[in-house]
Amino acid sequence: MSEFIQLVIAGLTTGSFYALVALGYTMVYGIVRLINFAHGDIFMVGAFLGWTVLTTLAATHMPWGIGLLIALILSMILTGGLGVAVERFAYQPLLSAPPLSILITALGVSLALENGVLLIFGPGFNTYPQLIGSAGFVLGGAHITFIQVGIIILSFLLMAGLYLFVHHTFIGTAMRALAVDRDAARLMGINVERVIQITFFLGSSLAAVAGVMEGLYYTEINFFMGFIVGLRAFTAAVLGGIGNIPGAMAGGLLIGLLEAFSAGYISSRWTDVIVFLVLIGTLVVKPTGLFGERVVERM
Amino acid sequence: MIKPILYAALPLLLAVGAASASAADTIKIGVPVPLSGPYAAAGTDILNAAKLAADDINASGGVLGKKIDIMAEDDGCDAQMGVQAAQKMIDGGVAVVAGGYCSGAGLPELIALHRAGVPFILDAQTNPKLTSMGFNNVFRTIGRDDEQGPFAAKFMSGYLHAKKVAVINDNTVYSKGLADNTVSALKKDGVDVVYDDSVTPGQMDYSAVLSHVASLDPQVIDYTGYFAEAGLMAKEAAALHLKPQLMGGDATQDPTLIKTAGAAANGWICTTAPLPQFLTGAKQFVTDFTKKYGTAPGPYSPYEYDAIEIAAKAVKDAGSTDPSKVIASLHTIKDYKGLTGNITFNSAGDRTVAVYITVIVKDQAFAPYVKLNAAGQWVPVQ
Amino acid sequence: MKPTMPISAASLGVAALAVAAVLPFLCDNYIVDVALTIVTYGILALGLNIVVGYAGLLDLGYAAFFAIGAYTTALLETLLNFNFWETIPVALILAGVSGIIIGYPTLRLRSDYLAIVTLGFGEIVRIIATNLNITGGPNGIYGINPANVLGHDITAPKAIYALGLVFLVIVLVLVLRLGQSRLGRAWTSLREDESAAEAVGVPTLRVKMLAYVIGALIGGLGGSLFAARFGTIDPTSFTYAQSVTILIIVVLGGRGSIPGVLLGAIIVAGLPEALRFLNLWREFVFAIALILLMLLRPQGLWPARLRRVAAPSAAAAHHTPRAEPAAQVAEATAGEPEMLLEAKGVSRVFGGLKAVSDVAFTVHRGEILSIIGPNGAGKTTVFNCLTGVLVPSAGDILWDGRSLTRLAPHRVVARGLARTFQGIRLFDNMTVFENVLVGMDHRFRVPLLAELIGLPSARRDTGLHYAAGRNWLEFVGLGDKAGLRAGDLPYGDQRRLEIARGLAGQPRLLLLDEPAAGMNPTEKQSLMGLIRRIRDLGTTVLLIEHDMLLVMGVSDRIIVMDRGQIIAEGPPSAIQANPRVIEAYLGTEEEVEDDGSLGAPILGAMA
Repeated sequence: MSEFIQLVIAGLTTGSFYALVALGYTMVYGIVRLINFAHGDIFMVGAFLGWTVLTTLAATHMPWGIGLLIALILSMILTGGLGVAVERFAYQPLLSAPPLSILITALGVSLALENGVLLIFGPGFNTYPQLIGSAGFVLGGAHITFIQVGIIILSFLLMAGLYLFVHHTFIGTAMRALAVDRDAARLMGINVERVIQITFFLGSSLAAVAGVMEGLYYTEINFFMGFIVGLRAFTAAVLGGIGNIPGAMAGGLLIGLLEAFSAGYISSRWTDVIVFLVLIGTLVVKPTGLFGERVVERM
Repeated sequence: MIKPILYAALPLLLAVGAASASAADTIKIGVPVPLSGPYAAAGTDILNAAKLAADDINASGGVLGKKIDIMAEDDGCDAQMGVQAAQKMIDGGVAVVAGGYCSGAGLPELIALHRAGVPFILDAQTNPKLTSMGFNNVFRTIGRDDEQGPFAAKFMSGYLHAKKVAVINDNTVYSKGLADNTVSALKKDGVDVVYDDSVTPGQMDYSAVLSHVASLDPQVIDYTGYFAEAGLMAKEAAALHLKPQLMGGDATQDPTLIKTAGAAANGWICTTAPLPQFLTGAKQFVTDFTKKYGTAPGPYSPYEYDAIEIAAKAVKDAGSTDPSKVIASLHTIKDYKGLTGNITFNSAGDRTVAVYITVIVKDQAFAPYVKLNAAGQWVPVQ
Repeated sequence: MKPTMPISAASLGVAALAVAAVLPFLCDNYIVDVALTIVTYGILALGLNIVVGYAGLLDLGYAAFFAIGAYTTALLETLLNFNFWETIPVALILAGVSGIIIGYPTLRLRSDYLAIVTLGFGEIVRIIATNLNITGGPNGIYGINPANVLGHDITAPKAIYALGLVFLVIVLVLVLRLGQSRLGRAWTSLREDESAAEAVGVPTLRVKMLAYVIGALIGGLGGSLFAARFGTIDPTSFTYAQSVTILIIVVLGGRGSIPGVLLGAIIVAGLPEALRFLNLWREFVFAIALILLMLLRPQGLWPARLRRVAAPSAAAAHHTPRAEPAAQVAEATAGEPEMLLEAKGVSRVFGGLKAVSDVAFTVHRGEILSIIGPNGAGKTTVFNCLTGVLVPSAGDILWDGRSLTRLAPHRVVARGLARTFQGIRLFDNMTVFENVLVGMDHRFRVPLLAELIGLPSARRDTGLHYAAGRNWLEFVGLGDKAGLRAGDLPYGDQRRLEIARGLAGQPRLLLLDEPAAGMNPTEKQSLMGLIRRIRDLGTTVLLIEHDMLLVMGVSDRIIVMDRGQIIAEGPPSAIQANPRVIEAYLGTEEEVEDDGSLGAPILGAMA
């Protein structure tokens, strides 16, 4: 029983990271029909920006709580800005080009971000300061740390906030309108470019939060860290039904749990095979993912 | 749009071709190391050691009246790039190739060099397979994984008195090889191996695996992978309040492990070939290296230094840069006094005596721990 | 339109091959080795190009097939002492089978989902190779023997290069022939508009599967070559990054363009070698270059030319026996029954909304039957039920006494029903002539292999097809526009091309969905004539149309639908006098204003 609880906690923690990153994939896809392959690396850049701010502030002897908050906010803003810049310079000119061209550009951006960070920060690992210890409590024989609980709660709050934003604000409504029909939205007077930029900003900011949390929780960050998280998050977004916000959250948590259970009860080396088989199986049964809706084509 | 690129690339390709035709007034030693990609830092440490060795040799008059010229090629730790790097060095007329970091690139490089009859001295590729293919052109200044494995097993059973052990690897060539050799030696020693499986490197969260392993109640958890995951495991094991002793192979011996795990790193033990700073013969080397490059040498730097020195000696003994003569002379190397101890190659090309010690993380730093003395007793490393 | 230069492109290709062939005599082994890497990537990219470039399917796991070929060769050589040549057929079979395995569950998915599923498949193959003992785990397999030719081991870099070049040429010839074949045409139509392709008779599932399988075969071949070249393989050569590299080659070079793909291979495999001196900066420079190149040339460096099969001259087409429209129709309609089609109680529900309910009617041989009704009356839904696009919720549709429901659209086409679309759905990036050919390719009976080799029987059939296609273009008045890009045609011509594409399939029944929409009066007049001529040839016509002048002018019989039901049926004169019809059309003011072609003309025609 204690092992089961331990696995659930591990799964929810990693699942929270996947879910936050998956939101970025799903929002961008919903609005511009682009699989933003660079999104995992945006997450990585978020972690590095947070690290830079934190280590700079560490020299000023500021209370670490405030330093952390500043690092988180600055990383969100800067990473959000990076997302917008990538959209503006690399994707926007290609929005009407064949979809594969923009996909390859996204792969190029991914490679450029990874190697850019490698050039600036070096190929090795950088480590976050040990701000939060492993203090925690015992539940049903399982050891749970406060930071795990914090990560899960913060992710849920952010996801709920995003959901409310998309459904109860003007910009959110505009985003949903764009997702249905970009041209119609433009005719209705929506500033399409602006809404796309806001989408990229939001998605990238959420990835930055995930990146900083990842740095705090696991301590070590590396230019390559976005790959696995990006891949899992992308899988999560598709599993939940790409373009669907609750789907991305559910998908992320599901993948996290799946990963923990397969590592705990089967074998860690088969995790990826299991995750992909579950994904393929789901898509065969429900081709649009768990929460996706069927698109009827007009003839 | 097309043509400018071709025109731009063409002179480069031609220049690369022309470079190989330069005069043979130097003795070329090829050094294939990763200079791009995730292992570039390790590759640079190795290359710098090679350059330092060449400078030292050249400062004392060179070999056969000629200067040593290090021909460095990026192999990116990749099979395809490695073969091309090897080919480039063969075409460049190297007398001997000495260096490398990854076994994965080393193997295809070795095959290409074997086909061309060029000797290859390995400095960091510890996979046993490289010297067990029956090739006569391969030599190695570092120990093999299948020597470290039994040492680690002996340490667990003999020193830690473990009855139940969990061995985790990361399914890379090095890690799986070390794990396999450790597990078979443990079983031979009568130790119960309760867990022997792989994790995916880069996955960050190993608490699921660790929880499961802990439920099997081992006294030691031995991770044979690299330092990044080792640090995470130390950190996550502490959060899970796990009891077993944690340890790892030589690839876990890196300051990153300590930075990642913080206080949780204390008590982590590594089996390793002695680091430069723990090698009595390498004091001067560490000083020179640090002075010249501004950083301390990497774990494999002294092995590369020895590899280059031996390469130079072999050329000198052969009195020729003809690779086949250099191979013959390498087989006669006996009791060469290197930074890393006495070097004699056996018929397969491996060192007859490989030295291993253990180190332990104490007060946030690696400190020498224990080693086996000649009498088979565990004694503290001085 | 892009300048076309078929002759210079071909001669350039020959020149490039000649340079590649003499390379070993001019350069040292290192250059030859890099060239061999380019050749290997060239082979792989040509294979992936079939999937991505020709058929327009995304594949992010192509390295899996490469791995399967390499591991098959390695295992058979090391465990069962096969020689290199004996391993190739097995490697091809296994790669092909895995193409089916990956293809089958994914073919029904949207292309964006394909990205993750193929990526997953690639990872699964790599992880299995890493985890199993038989594949050597992470160590992989070593001691793979080189290929042996006439008693000589192919180990020297120049010899392996020569072998690779031979493989490349074989693949190149195959790919070129495939591109020109009807399968290549089907792939292109699929890429252009999948539903339209299916609706004009392309068996899209099978055609997609073939793309995967043939792509897999080429990937497997590349893998065997790779294993023999290095003498050792391990899972790190078959990563996701490898799949991405091959995809980048295809898209950067120009999807669907063979010279483009080869140029892409030279750049992607050669440039990093040329940039070796940049060390850590190399990948970054490559990434930036990739982004800039895609921004500057979204279609790729050497975009694919328009597929261009030369149409025979009008005179030649006329003199080909059995290729005249009259002969074609006679062949198709020989022995057809008096009652062609019978719809019995057909209903179709969309999420609780009854689009069509209990519709029953018959279509008789040789008539022009029109279905009219206000917008939303369910006319197009009836068409979609007849053509297999939709399965009726209830009822049955009998054709020759056999049910048509539950048949895939392309099978309905094979039974003798062809259609056009309300919104024109041509294959824009194909020529006018090729659009027609797609419509008739389902009649082609010669095996694909015979066509690829160019057997006389295949040439004869192709000749007949081309002549018939050309004649149909002549028939609708587009004879002189055969070589143009379909998307560049003026609107009215696009409508007529759709009709020609339908007719070319030798249908007994042609279904036209609002063919006059958007036409000017002159065009409508000529359309009316065209419909009559089609009927006069012997093809039965079922027409949906709003334009009452046209409907009243050509129809033998009219069915009127409103709110999913048939409210009237009879000859034009009876319909004009039917009070229910007038009520349906004049029911609300809005509808009249909504569509000017609705109310006013009907009154005009009635007057």
